[in-house]
Amino acid sequence: MALADDAFEALGDPNRRAIVELLRAGDRSVRSLSDELPISRPAVSRHLRLLKQAGLVTDRAEGTRRVYRLHDEGADAMRAYMADLWGQAATRFRLLAENTQEQRR
Amino acid sequence: MSEALELEFKVGCSPEHAFQVWTARFSQWWPRGHSRSGDPDLAVVLEPHSGGRIFERTPAGVEHDWGEILDFEPPNRLRYLWHIYGARAEATQVEVRFAADGEATTVTVVHSGFERLGARGEELRRRNRAGWAGLVPHYERAVASAG
Repeated sequence: MALADDAFEALGDPNRRAIVELLRAGDRSVRSLSDELPISRPAVSRHLRLLKQAGLVTDRAEGTRRVYRLHDEGADAMRAYMADLWGQAATRFRLLAENTQEQRR
Repeated sequence: MSEALELEFKVGCSPEHAFQVWTARFSQWWPRGHSRSGDPDLAVVLEPHSGGRIFERTPAGVEHDWGEILDFEPPNRLRYLWHIYGARAEATQVEVRFAADGEATTVTVVHSGFERLGARGEELRRRNRAGWAGLVPHYERAVASAG
């Protein structure tokens, strides 16, 4: 579940959400991203590296620059993460419901 | 395209009690650590009516929205928007049904809409762009104020 965990964390940062937001409207280079964000180009690169590790974006070379785009599998990573989380949630919910008032069993 | 997640399990109590625990005691059973702020002492509030908010509140009083109740129909059905991981524009949908089964209750959870989180067609991107532009700054302020 490492990939999905990363996706959850990756979206927990406002700058990374802003990057995802910009990429949602179309593919972009690091330079084009940093032009629109209040952070430096190296900082944008760091965030992109993390987003890439989390499986949320992919990149390709276009001449001398790298162009980033949203990765289609990001949604699947989040789905896998939630499947795991629901398993834990259901167990905790059952324990609480069965050990509080109005118990019938 | 991601399919919906479906989960079904039995719980040894009435649908009334199961519904009550799911909603009024959400804070007590939702897995610790799966929150926006990560604060171990946060409270989770689920306002018990259609249109009600689902949010976390840190001890410092900072609130982060997790979702919104669409249908509140005790004791059998609950439906809400869910965006614990991001902005409201990326909300998925959770439907929970509580059906009496002898002395027990069968709980069915259907979590759908994951395809909204991934890359999408150009047309849909354009259509959502305006909405996102308005929501993101607001959301970021909320996050930033959490420190």
